[in-house]
Amino acid sequence: MDQQAFIQAFFKSLKGFLFNLPLLLSVILLTGLFEVFITPKMLSSLFSGNTFLDTLTGTIVGGASVGQPFVSYLIGGELLDDGMSFYAVTAFILSWVTLGIVQLPYEYRLFGARFTLTRNLLAFIFALLIAITTVQSLVWFK
Amino acid sequence: MKKASRKNRKPKIGGKILFPVVIIIYLLLYNSAPEKTLEALNKSLSIITHLLPIFVAVIVIMGLITALLQVKNFAGLLGKQSGIKGWSIGIIGGILSHGSSLIWYQMLADLREHDVRDSLIVTFLYTRAIKLPWLPLMISYFGFTFTVLLTVYIIFGAIIQGIIMDKISSGKQYD
Repeated sequence: MDQQAFIQAFFKSLKGFLFNLPLLLSVILLTGLFEVFITPKMLSSLFSGNTFLDTLTGTIVGGASVGQPFVSYLIGGELLDDGMSFYAVTAFILSWVTLGIVQLPYEYRLFGARFTLTRNLLAFIFALLIAITTVQSLVWFK
Repeated sequence: MKKASRKNRKPKIGGKILFPVVIIIYLLLYNSAPEKTLEALNKSLSIITHLLPIFVAVIVIMGLITALLQVKNFAGLLGKQSGIKGWSIGIIGGILSHGSSLIWYQMLADLREHDVRDSLIVTFLYTRAIKLPWLPLMISYFGFTFTVLLTVYIIFGAIIQGIIMDKISSGKQYD
């Protein structure tokens, strides 16, 4: 291994990390706020019962939420028990892990506006498409 | 004309603006709900303590990868000519990756500087939606068929998004 190349790459990565540290800390601090102030009950109250609107709401709420994936399963399970459509719940749990509104400033800083916008737009559209396709396929398999 | 590198075209707005804004939000919230705000701060600190060693590991790993692989090898593995091999690395890497995406953003941004395709980064980030350790829990909540279907569609979706990203990026490689 080229030791000189390693040292150079190490310090380059370290420099990049330190440069982005204030933004990273900001995102983490926002994550903490979100986890404490936005409760699962508050998220559940945003759904109306209309399948189409709820699927859209599910994608947006999931994208704006932060936390471990299993939290989205717990909320999703509760929503299903409350009679929420499977489309909405699928979109919700999918966008929970594929969209990151809180992380947007960090993603934008590292990858630039065009990449960040395109990726998140694609993830948003595909959360809807995959939710519809999955639930439709589920109907066929039953 | 010489193309501007991705590194030199990074956005100027960053933590210098957001960090003071977040501190002000904390101070304002502390006035109205001190206990909850402290709880949020504690949560954030525990995230930082959890992530910090991983970030150090990522920096070391990036140093090792860069030292072991020459730039041309990066391009061969994950660049424009990487083909199925590149897609496979993007998909499998995304599925196997764990932890906060914040860690992976840093590593992926470094790889992007070495001409790793945007499409593979998009694919990697989307297949991260498949959380292997949480699959049993997903099955228990939503059923086996649902979990399998969702997993398969996530992989297909990730590839399609990568292809779309490729089309969008072609000719406009840099932000």
